[in-house]
Amino acid sequence: MGKTVLMPKLGLTMTKGRIVEWKKREGESVKEGEVIAIIESEKITSEVKAPTSGILLKTYVPKGSYANVGQIIAYIGEPGEKPPELAVEVIEAPKPTAPPPLEAPPPPITKVAVRATPRARRLADERGVDLTKIVGSGPGGLITEEDVLREIEKREKYTLTGIRVKEHLPVTPIREVIAKRMVESLQTTAQVTLTIEAQVDALVELREELLKTMEVRVTYTDILVKAVATLLKEHPLLNSILEEDKIKILDDINIGVAVALDHGLIVPVIKNANKKHLKQIAEEARELARKAREGLLTPDEVSQGTFTITNLGMFSIDAFTPIINPPEAAILGVGRIVKKPVVIEDNIRIGNVMWLSLTFDHRIMDGHVAAKFLQDLAQILNDKNKLKKYLEL
Amino acid sequence: MSVREITFAEALNEALRQEMERDENVIVMGEDVGVYGGVFGVTKGLLEKFGFDRVIDTPISEAGFIGTAVGAAAMGLRPVVELMFVDFFGVAMDQIYNQAGKMRYMFGGKIKLPLTIRTTIGGGLSAAAQHSQVLYSIFAHVPGLKVVVPSTPYDAKGLLISSIRDDNPVMFFEHKLLYATKGPVPEEPYTIPLGKADVKREGSDVTLIGLALTVHHALKAADILAKEGISAEVVDPRTIVPFDKETILKSARKTGRVVIVDEDYDRCGFASWAAAIIADEAFEYLDAPIKRVTTPNVPIPFSPPLENHILPNADKVVNTVKSIFKRK
Repeated sequence: MGKTVLMPKLGLTMTKGRIVEWKKREGESVKEGEVIAIIESEKITSEVKAPTSGILLKTYVPKGSYANVGQIIAYIGEPGEKPPELAVEVIEAPKPTAPPPLEAPPPPITKVAVRATPRARRLADERGVDLTKIVGSGPGGLITEEDVLREIEKREKYTLTGIRVKEHLPVTPIREVIAKRMVESLQTTAQVTLTIEAQVDALVELREELLKTMEVRVTYTDILVKAVATLLKEHPLLNSILEEDKIKILDDINIGVAVALDHGLIVPVIKNANKKHLKQIAEEARELARKAREGLLTPDEVSQGTFTITNLGMFSIDAFTPIINPPEAAILGVGRIVKKPVVIEDNIRIGNVMWLSLTFDHRIMDGHVAAKFLQDLAQILNDKNKLKKYLEL
Repeated sequence: MSVREITFAEALNEALRQEMERDENVIVMGEDVGVYGGVFGVTKGLLEKFGFDRVIDTPISEAGFIGTAVGAAAMGLRPVVELMFVDFFGVAMDQIYNQAGKMRYMFGGKIKLPLTIRTTIGGGLSAAAQHSQVLYSIFAHVPGLKVVVPSTPYDAKGLLISSIRDDNPVMFFEHKLLYATKGPVPEEPYTIPLGKADVKREGSDVTLIGLALTVHHALKAADILAKEGISAEVVDPRTIVPFDKETILKSARKTGRVVIVDEDYDRCGFASWAAAIIADEAFEYLDAPIKRVTTPNVPIPFSPPLENHILPNADKVVNTVKSIFKRK
């Protein structure tokens, strides 16, 4: 008697998952604990492991389709066993809500009669080759297997624009998610980036003190998470979500912190950061970063963000144009802290400066609203008393 | 025992002699099979060795002696009947397809019918329309008959022994132009299972399927094609019923191109049927249309140039293969 494989529930908010890839085909033998599928829920990808050893007799949900949590997605049994027939509900991928891209609509597709052998068609189908682009070398211009093989070779050795290729890297599931979300973000919102050079002597001093007094090693990002969370209460539009014809001002302030990994980017979320002590934030941020590096984040830990902070200071970047993490309203890009000549009361002194880059959604707010937030933040970081107040120390 | 080079006719003669020695129920009947030794010499010497009781010369009465053989087989003998030319089957067809072919079925399997009908096929001898046909497709078309078509002396001996030992009626077709061909044949008796195709030459670009003489056309064509860089595989089904579908499909899937070379008439013939099976079960592997090199549906002419014009040959095979390879 075999076992069914269910769509796992990876987090509290997960209701359905998408099959990104079947790692095993129907008829292949699997060992207990072996990865049989890659699934994706909202922002995270995860592995589905075989609950038992046997033959993967049946997969019920095709690649790219969604299944509800708890739904049977596969059946593992013994050779010759008949997998149960199930009326499986396959959820179609949701239609993208993005408005049509701002390019000329493609010309209407005219069906071109292609003369190709069955063998050529099969190969073209398997390898995703467009037969209409091939000139056949067979009798009467018939496209043969050899023609398709030549096209595949050409495609592998050259780009579509005819540039020679050195090697191919697969688009990993996480890369695919990032690509999809970033394009979606830029296509569906009106993003503007503001930058400010903040004088941050107060920030640097306070952190030096905290390193001595607090048992947790507090990072600049931790301090910014707490300060921004507190400040967001005064700037509700920056902590809002636009849904249909309403701008919904959010009660919770959940700060996402972008973590760079070798193979991609992930944004764990510190929930209710405004209500947490700086020490707690530092501990949580460190734990989430570790889980991110080890691939152990759960969907709950990367969802429900309301504002994101991304820091490229460690790479000596000053300013950049971060892309909003949808459906949030804004994202703060943090640059390096560097000593520079600064003018204070007509005297040139050496001071610590840091660039802040704020991208906001112009559909939700106008430039001056975002500018005020950024100005306030810069002032807080340059005033130790204010900073302590916003850090609730 | 050793392997010698003997002719196709000698191989058949040896098979008959060895089977008659092995089993006294094996008898031989037909026109001129005794004193004359068969018009193509296949039964030579059998009368002297086994006597008039087991080697029976019959009148020119195909319906009569084939009907006699059907009855003898039903009663326990193992007759091997010679029908001098397949073209003559018409007068005896009821005995063959409705009596021999159906009897075991009609009696609910309660009798065996171990009958072998040997007959000669093929053109190329200017023997005209009534002595040059192939016609095995007709026998393969009706249920109840096994159809064996050897192409080499080795296959001829092994398949004839298997046919004689088979408990069902077998039609055994011998191409007249093959009788004098020589090949290695072991002296001892051996069998080749009915329904097992033989890959006569391995290749990778095109599959040539032939029977009897057309296997040799295909092999010659493969030699010519090899010089032009086309690697042809030659598959000989050896028996049409039962048919070794798997070997043919395996080859078709490998090469992706199939040319069937068949001396029988084109219409509703073996080549069309084999092509249909390949199209049905190996469609997505085909890299060219399945082609047939066959004999058109006309009476076989007496005139040598005309006869040569309509029969399959190696050049026709070569040209057909080329036609499915490159843009014209």
